[in-house]
Amino acid sequence: MPLPTGYGLNQAFGTSAGTQDFKSVEQADVVLLIGATPTDAHPVFASRLKKRLRQGARLVVADPRRIELVRSPHVTAAYHLPVLPGANVAFVNAMAHVVVTEGLHDEGFVRERCENVDGYLSFIADPVHSPEATEEVTGIPAADLRAAARLYATARNGAIYYGLGVTEHSQGSTMVMGMANLAMVTGNLGREGVGVNPLRGQNNVLGSCDLGSFPHEFPGYRHVSLDAVRGIYERLWGRTLDPEPGLRIPNMFDSALGGSFMGLYVQGEDIAQSDPNTQHVEAALRAMELVVVQDLFLNETARFAHVFLPGTSFLEKDGTFTNAERRINRVRPVLPPRQGKDEWQITCDIATAMGYDMGYASAAEIMAEIAATTPTFAGVSFDRLDQEGSLQWPVTESAPHGTPTMHVGEFVRGKGKLVETVYVPTTERANRRFPLILTTGRILTQYNVGAQTRRTSNNTWHPEDILELHPADAEVRGIRTGDLVELSSRVGTTALRALVSERMPAGVVYTTFHHPVTGANVVTTENSDWATNCPEYKVTAVQVGVANARGETDLEAARREHPDELAAPR
Amino acid sequence: MTETAAPEVRLGNDIARQFAHLPDGDAVARIADHLLRFWDPRMRARLRDLVAAGDPDLDARVVVAAELL
Repeated sequence: MPLPTGYGLNQAFGTSAGTQDFKSVEQADVVLLIGATPTDAHPVFASRLKKRLRQGARLVVADPRRIELVRSPHVTAAYHLPVLPGANVAFVNAMAHVVVTEGLHDEGFVRERCENVDGYLSFIADPVHSPEATEEVTGIPAADLRAAARLYATARNGAIYYGLGVTEHSQGSTMVMGMANLAMVTGNLGREGVGVNPLRGQNNVLGSCDLGSFPHEFPGYRHVSLDAVRGIYERLWGRTLDPEPGLRIPNMFDSALGGSFMGLYVQGEDIAQSDPNTQHVEAALRAMELVVVQDLFLNETARFAHVFLPGTSFLEKDGTFTNAERRINRVRPVLPPRQGKDEWQITCDIATAMGYDMGYASAAEIMAEIAATTPTFAGVSFDRLDQEGSLQWPVTESAPHGTPTMHVGEFVRGKGKLVETVYVPTTERANRRFPLILTTGRILTQYNVGAQTRRTSNNTWHPEDILELHPADAEVRGIRTGDLVELSSRVGTTALRALVSERMPAGVVYTTFHHPVTGANVVTTENSDWATNCPEYKVTAVQVGVANARGETDLEAARREHPDELAAPR
Repeated sequence: MTETAAPEVRLGNDIARQFAHLPDGDAVARIADHLLRFWDPRMRARLRDLVAAGDPDLDARVVVAAELL
């Protein structure tokens, strides 16, 4: 769920997507990589980044873990800033503090292009934001942070790339605004080689967001309360539309348990494995009167389905994927859908059966409607995509071939908005009972919840989720590599094998969430980003101990109460 | 805050904490605006019910913001 990127960049720049194309990295001189592991989660971009680094660009890695890019063949980061989970905003403020108080900011750029300049500059110059004052919170040696800030600010082109290690925090949205602030004060926007660039969580996540999957927006990131926007669709569809926002996924679970949200149609997402606090999610799914799952596989969520509808693979799809650089790519079927219908036809059939005749004849016709109703897609059609190969939105009359770099000369919202990004610690903190912090992520050979990759021989490389922990944390607990350990938080317990690793800082442990048998999300909590309710996957207070045997977990006990539920084939 | 607090209490207080540095009037306006733009009406209704019931865990500024909805 990339909601904090959408919220934060929209606040700062006026549009909810990354500022550059991927090619832009070829012009970057200093890359600031925050909360992302491209070699595991974005290998294609990682190759382009490494190519640029081999040409001499400098790299700053801000991540709790000593990720591969910190030091690997032909690549050595200039600085590794081991920011502690939960301290991102304190870190980015310290970076901007150094830039501003050392006079390294681009006065001309901020005066011409930004608003709230004096308010922000006086806010960020406050010594409470200095690297020395925040060292204990961020875990980053102040001298390293100062040096990294100088490197980024004095680069000809400084570019920020970030991942879910930014967004999946209680201050995810604030951190996105904090990075936008840093790019604005250094004038690193509106040309090639710079920008604020999200490395997204899924291949088509931007496409889903573009086309109205947020419960408060219509396609093109237009709020449902706008009468003029609703009017476009009301005239076209002949129906009155609700001007109020809907529930976000965690709100749906809460409302299911509260008795007001009773039906769910879930397509191509395995919420029972991917969402935090599995026991809570499963209880919510059990409370619903109707769960419809449409997927390629009988996934974990399918246990709770009253109706299962078949999905199609990308090889059978006719449509578009939109990647993080706003590039709309055609996806063409190499074989007809084996189940006899395209996924969108099934959705149309449901709508028709419910009384609205949703009679599109083709995917191309749906794109034509998107273009006719969404200004940023005005020039998009399957024909144009076939002619051009692909297009980066906005595609408009003034930019008929698309827009590789955004905010050139002026931000979409006019002036860029500098926001006072106050650091507010998460309520999830290490304590006596749960003295370690768990953070989660991915590995190269598995994708997300593994629904697709676990069913391949990729499992040879990564057959199970492993808990990585620092030698000191392992030693005091008597844990050796390969031991079965119990991982507990205030919401749940699971068991997995340990790997003692100096990639981890002391006090922080790490695992992936690819395997349902481990179920990392059994221990993650209900905490979420304050603005968007994107779950705080990256910070969970936990305890780890040697497990003598793998006992029954709370989750398994809860499942035992429901023997009728379908077990997903592994 | 108790762990069993209603979700709206936790989520409302999360928002209020982000604006704790602002004067009362500004913070309340920002909280109310956020609730209107991003919360489903049923969540706002539950929040108002919690305010009416005098929920002790609710941030004072969320209480005032809820009354503006």
